[in-house]
Amino acid sequence: MEAKNVYIPYQMKIEKVTYEAPQIKTFKLKFINPEDEAKFSFKAGQFGLYSVFGEGESTFCIASSPTRKGYIECTFREVGRVTTALANCEEGDTIGFRGPYGNTFPMESWFGKNLIFITGGIALPPLRCVIWNALDWRDKFKDIIVIYGARTAEDLVYKHELAEWESRSDIDLIQTVDPGGETPDWKGEVGFVPAILEKNPPSSENTIAIVCGPPIMIKLTLPILMKLGFPNESIFTTLENRMKCGVGKCGHCMVGNNYVCKDGPVYRYDELLKLPLEY
Amino acid sequence: MNYKTLNTNKLPEFFEKIKKTGKTVLAPRKKGNKTFFATFDSFDQINFDYVQTALSPKSVLFPRVEELFTYKNDDGTYSVKEPELKNEVVVFGMRPCDGVALDYLCDFFLNENPDKLLQDRKNNTTFISLACKSFDNDCFCTSVGSSPAETLGSDLCFTDMGNGSYYVEVVTDKGQKLVDAFPDLFADTKEINKVEQLAQVPVRFELKNLVPKIPTVFETNIWLDQSLACIGCGACAYVCPTCSCFDVQDECNPKAGTRLRCWDSCAFGQFTLHASGHNPREVQSNRWRNRVMHKFNYSVQNMNTISCVGCGRCIRVCPAGMSIIEHLISVEEA
Repeated sequence: MEAKNVYIPYQMKIEKVTYEAPQIKTFKLKFINPEDEAKFSFKAGQFGLYSVFGEGESTFCIASSPTRKGYIECTFREVGRVTTALANCEEGDTIGFRGPYGNTFPMESWFGKNLIFITGGIALPPLRCVIWNALDWRDKFKDIIVIYGARTAEDLVYKHELAEWESRSDIDLIQTVDPGGETPDWKGEVGFVPAILEKNPPSSENTIAIVCGPPIMIKLTLPILMKLGFPNESIFTTLENRMKCGVGKCGHCMVGNNYVCKDGPVYRYDELLKLPLEY
Repeated sequence: MNYKTLNTNKLPEFFEKIKKTGKTVLAPRKKGNKTFFATFDSFDQINFDYVQTALSPKSVLFPRVEELFTYKNDDGTYSVKEPELKNEVVVFGMRPCDGVALDYLCDFFLNENPDKLLQDRKNNTTFISLACKSFDNDCFCTSVGSSPAETLGSDLCFTDMGNGSYYVEVVTDKGQKLVDAFPDLFADTKEINKVEQLAQVPVRFELKNLVPKIPTVFETNIWLDQSLACIGCGACAYVCPTCSCFDVQDECNPKAGTRLRCWDSCAFGQFTLHASGHNPREVQSNRWRNRVMHKFNYSVQNMNTISCVGCGRCIRVCPAGMSIIEHLISVEEA
């Protein structure tokens, strides 16, 4: 088999920069080369490596839905060398992107079921892809519920889309902020995500739970889902280990014998339980 | 397999002739009290008196630092250039255990999502092993399913028969091509029992007991006990012929530069550190456990083979005096 140098990125133009929250931005990216765009496709749950030439690569999910063609979006927090360089980019600049990598959420197998998304902070972007995908295939699913929390009202990402989901009748959004994170006009809940889940218990009957958030949120959310009767096979999450290659070679993302970049990042909870706690 | 002989006094001519074809010959050379692979200039530089080279020939296929591509900024779009790997290399004098390691490394990099750079380098390289006539306390190839007689992963395997000639096993087509290029140097022979000429490396632990045992001690304190001395320097990974982890970094500036990959090690705390500050392998014992688990369990699950070849380099290089042989024996006895 003729091998290909997988490290050569696609060149992408930043079409739009959206300020989401302190130090968090969303880029809308378009392929510069139309041939690249023509052969590119992805599914909900996959990720890519975004790069600034001269600074390096960084891994994030594709935050837009595969149902929205012609562009991809990524949302990132400015924390290190690459993400700072990305944050300094402007509309019209060129960045690198390679992907898509990893497995996908098995959305087709969820047809006819209720979906509940439970997420916190900067972990909404990987689920936003799935949520919009589900909304674009709305008649395939029953109830769609989103429980989303952040430290403060300001830290919530996609505020404009949260407002849209609030106003739609075909999706239930419960927003919450940590105690003390509310503003005077805050209308959502106040409390940590697991507590808010307990306060608004969904039926586990015919329901898929998709959980993504900081380790502590996941750790406290899972027992509540268990108590509500969710079987392990109905709970999904996506891992975000450090990654450098995306193709199962560099070793950074390994959890046991799994390469999160190719065997994940999407895991069903019963599969996750087989791995050592190294994520 | 074909078998040949080569007079030992013809070896200089063999190297000179290869060199004349434009290929680079890498052969063992002494530097201080250690032996490294170095570009062959003249035969008297070659050192034959070594148990094991300090570094394996892994870097011939998977360099310590390697260019993935170069880029140049032309007014907002980038022109990207892939490296062209044309240099042909003949490596002489690696030990048979390194051949086994190369076989593993190629399997790992080329079977799934094949790596172009390693593929190109492999196509351009011929590996000649020199079977071991001596060993030291840190050699344990016979404990991990290999031996000084092993030919896997070598293109040609030379054994000094002690009678003024090398017995040459032609293992691959690439090896055959090299031998065929110099028909006046090599004479045909039949298969010879070479084992008497080779080092008799003692077996230190039972692999068939160890492999099923390792996952059963995953949650125990054995890793903590073993890694108390570990300073996380990563030298073991650096000298390991099968360690394959790497980092990807950019060099230079937005106008022009290089994206490269360089060796990395799961012994480093930053290896798994998330941007959030969360670290899945937070303490050194977790990292040590990962190293041993990868070699003796994860490789078996993923590739149906362990990924330790018993070369002993990690033991010789460890500044804290850790010995994987002792650790594996303690797991076996746990």
